[in-house]
Amino acid sequence: MSFTLNGVGIEDTFAEGFGMWGARIIITAKNRKWANIAAREMTGFATSVIACDCEAGIERQVPPEETPDGRPGVSVMIFGFSKKRLATPMLNRIGQCVLTCPTTAIFNGIPEEEADDMLDVGASLRFFGDGYQVKMRMGDGWGERQRFWRIPVMEGEFLAEAKFGAIRAVAGGNFLIMGENEDATLEASEKAVEAILEVPGVITPFPGGLCRSGSKVGSTYAFLKASTNTPFCPAIKHTSPDSQVPAGCNSVLEVVLNGLDEPSVMKAMAAGIRAATEVEGIKWITAVNFAGKLGKFQMGLKDALGVE
Amino acid sequence: MELILKPKKLPELPLEAEVITPDSVAGKTLKEVKALPVYVGNTTETLGKYFDIKGKTAETPSDQLIAIQGECANVKYIGAGMTAGHLIVEGCVGMHAGAEMAGGEFIVTGSAANWAGAEMKGGLMRIHGDAGHQLGAAYRGSPEGMTGGVIVVGGDVGLEAAAFMRRGMLIIHGNVGSFLGVHMNGGEIFVFGNVARRFGAEAKGNGGFIACFGEVESILPTYVYDTTFRPDFMKLYLRQLRDQLGIEVAGEHLETSFRRYRGDIAVGGTAEILIAEP
Repeated sequence: MSFTLNGVGIEDTFAEGFGMWGARIIITAKNRKWANIAAREMTGFATSVIACDCEAGIERQVPPEETPDGRPGVSVMIFGFSKKRLATPMLNRIGQCVLTCPTTAIFNGIPEEEADDMLDVGASLRFFGDGYQVKMRMGDGWGERQRFWRIPVMEGEFLAEAKFGAIRAVAGGNFLIMGENEDATLEASEKAVEAILEVPGVITPFPGGLCRSGSKVGSTYAFLKASTNTPFCPAIKHTSPDSQVPAGCNSVLEVVLNGLDEPSVMKAMAAGIRAATEVEGIKWITAVNFAGKLGKFQMGLKDALGVE
Repeated sequence: MELILKPKKLPELPLEAEVITPDSVAGKTLKEVKALPVYVGNTTETLGKYFDIKGKTAETPSDQLIAIQGECANVKYIGAGMTAGHLIVEGCVGMHAGAEMAGGEFIVTGSAANWAGAEMKGGLMRIHGDAGHQLGAAYRGSPEGMTGGVIVVGGDVGLEAAAFMRRGMLIIHGNVGSFLGVHMNGGEIFVFGNVARRFGAEAKGNGGFIACFGEVESILPTYVYDTTFRPDFMKLYLRQLRDQLGIEVAGEHLETSFRRYRGDIAVGGTAEILIAEP
């Protein structure tokens, strides 16, 4: 079964998501250049937990009027399979990529009332101060109670909020864009990612938001737990017995999304699919799932797009 | 719900009226409020004897507003220990106003005598005029002064303000007398006027600092100059002062550099004195 949107065939299937713990970090700096440098460093090598310690990406640019210190900011989201497997890469990445980056400061992006738990990242981060760190308090007895650490660095001070909200999040949102050639598929995928990043609470952790290899569980090699998604590789569609590439499609790109909740991921998927279908040369859109064996979230493309 | 108190002829001896709080009047009838005890010397009188009382009482302290319309410079303990609600004095208040208050908002349009906000635990106290000595300080023998809340003073402040401060904020628009923040062990103090000598004496640290935006008479030799810098953390405080407390002058210093001193090394302290560069 399938349906069409803007003349593009869309398979009536679902993206299979799974639960992860997520956090949002607001990185500010003297200017947008340095905030983005820190954000890119912090979210580097964080595409998939297949081989990375976490999944992370830039959510959006935060204007100075929305940041706690009134400086340009970048919202970064990071995901791990457990609270510990979230806190550890957070600490490592903040310590190595943000603390080291000139002029930066970090703030919690998920308030305590919205969080499922609070990660005391500052409790470990503060030790970088080697005893000279200063605990900073705000709001005691009259306003929002906040705690920060001021850590001396050679340039001045690194200011870090002590606790970060962690939330039971959703990873593995996805859809595949299939086009008649590489150019159309890439253009459609870029537009899809642009549309997705307009949705709050969602990131696309792969390069530019796109995964060209796809992935499937396991491989013909015993030592390899995941391999390229061969059923969706057009280059072998007539030699691979289990190819799922439709006729007329010669390039496939996967958009992968993680979000703070299922509705956000579904909304972002819909925005991305709609944007992709507006590009000429796109033939087919589907999603990757494992028949419900991998994760508890089954995000149907029909449901996402609101198609009856 | 607003309850209005107008002072009648007040006694020559100080009147002790710690019952003038939202906590004491909420849930009571006007008759019961008028019968609340106040003290003059060694005699017990009623609140109704010294104040005309009109208006309504609320069920809970947080819904209660008390407005005192008149001078109460010889009335002690107004707002002492209040935990919620609003209290406005259109005039001056006597000693110990807002002492040990734990919540709510207390506004004094005139000046406050000594020990205002002493050992404050929470809430917001605004004194539009001057404040006397020992503002927000610890009582003699007590190990901690303010442990939370905010005091904002529009005018000048006397000696030993914020003595033994542990947490909370003190903001002074005018000048302040000697021994500001003596023995402080935490908390934040902002002075936009001038600061007299010996501030921060025997301060221990614990994240506490005194930020001086005006002239400083002298710094204790037991404070060590570290650097001149423009710390990010100060932006957070100054924005909080401007945006949440309406202190516009704070917004003028968002890009100000500060000379940082650390001490008091006489007691192994790590408190900070931050002096704004002109």
